[in-house]
Amino acid sequence: MTSGVRIAALALLLLATPPARAEYLHIQLKIYGLDCELCARGVSASIGKLAGIESVNVSIKTGMLDVILTRGNKFKMSDLRKRIRQNGFRAMEAKVTAIGQLSGSKFEVLGANESYDVGKRDAAEGTPIELTFDVH
Amino acid sequence: MTRIGPLLLCICTSLSWADGHGPAFGFGTAVLGAGDTSIGSAFMWRSGLIMGGPVTSYGITSDFQLSFSAPFDFNSGEHPTGRVVALMPGVPQAEILAAWRFHHRLTGIGTRFESTLYLGSSISTQLPPRADGPPLARSPGFYAAAATGHVSRRYYVWAGAGYQEYTSFNGRDHQSNSFLSSLVFGWRPPFLDKEYPKPDWRFFWESTGEWSGYAWRSAQAPLGSGHNHAVSTEAVLPPRQPANPLPNPTGIVILTNSGGSGAYSGPTFLLTYRNFAFQTGVLFAVWRDPNGTQPPDRLRAVAGLTYYFLKGRK
Repeated sequence: MTSGVRIAALALLLLATPPARAEYLHIQLKIYGLDCELCARGVSASIGKLAGIESVNVSIKTGMLDVILTRGNKFKMSDLRKRIRQNGFRAMEAKVTAIGQLSGSKFEVLGANESYDVGKRDAAEGTPIELTFDVH
Repeated sequence: MTRIGPLLLCICTSLSWADGHGPAFGFGTAVLGAGDTSIGSAFMWRSGLIMGGPVTSYGITSDFQLSFSAPFDFNSGEHPTGRVVALMPGVPQAEILAAWRFHHRLTGIGTRFESTLYLGSSISTQLPPRADGPPLARSPGFYAAAATGHVSRRYYVWAGAGYQEYTSFNGRDHQSNSFLSSLVFGWRPPFLDKEYPKPDWRFFWESTGEWSGYAWRSAQAPLGSGHNHAVSTEAVLPPRQPANPLPNPTGIVILTNSGGSGAYSGPTFLLTYRNFAFQTGVLFAVWRDPNGTQPPDRLRAVAGLTYYFLKGRK
């Protein structure tokens, strides 16, 4: 009986614990070639259709695309770059905030299965952390 | 009734022209995004003749676009030949135009260097009256053009040229083939350089150069025997010119009052805001050299309104 309760409690605990998922939270991406209001509107509409997008803002003066993502998304940075290319523009450097795991200088956004070289960071390896880094 | 039909068609489909990204008269390079649709109307005025009609475009990819336009005559008069605007027929025709942006280099924030090829095919929808005889028979036309340009947040420059070739269903009547070239400079003034999603203003200075050849018709067609379905033109046409009395050995009569050359230049502007684009401008004749005694074509004007459906953007 006691072991049954223990097993049930453990099962409950396992179910209640969120999986150690990783995800993109915020992306600021520079875009080349965006010259007019209509182009910005089109890009904004197109990016907004990607799964996991909470909001999209485009600046035609700075060429900056600002994307905020929903929690628990399965968004991929490669999909964003591909979408921009399909729109006739070029995705350049980006500033990314994401949850992932460090392994040496490599930061892996696990849910997306994408990794970046972020240099040496003072954080425990193998533990999900939120990190902001530049992508070139 | 002939006037009401095209007018109703324009109003019903009313909303914009070309792709609204570029010049009003000359050649531009921009195409719609993949999945975008634009629909609108453009109106042109020259030599007292008003034309207008629906234009719709669809972006298949971000580099390939299909457009359909069908300008109609809103009043009658002898028709000048050649195109008024680069991407729409200058005579009453329905045209399908494919645009392929084959070169596209993204060089910085807001800057692009790109080139686009245009290929089109058209068919007459109305038979414009002529002072020197019956209207020319319905004929298909083919159009090829290319444009290249540099785009930035502050300046724009485009150059382009196109050639319109007509064939003939009856083997005799032939409309004037024509060539059009253009050079366009654009400017977005710093005080109007606003952040998205504010209205976006651009000003252009457009220059066009054109040539159109002689038209000809079958020597067998007696004067006044044409099947002109346009409105009665007796009151507005100049006195009938004598047809060339001697057909050449191939049985055609060259229409001396057709074709010519000219150069035009003038200001235009483009305003885009939300899903709309409004474009208007005028061109003044800098030089004119008609082959015959056609009506003067000293001033040209154009205005267009376009609506963009961007929800289908891929």
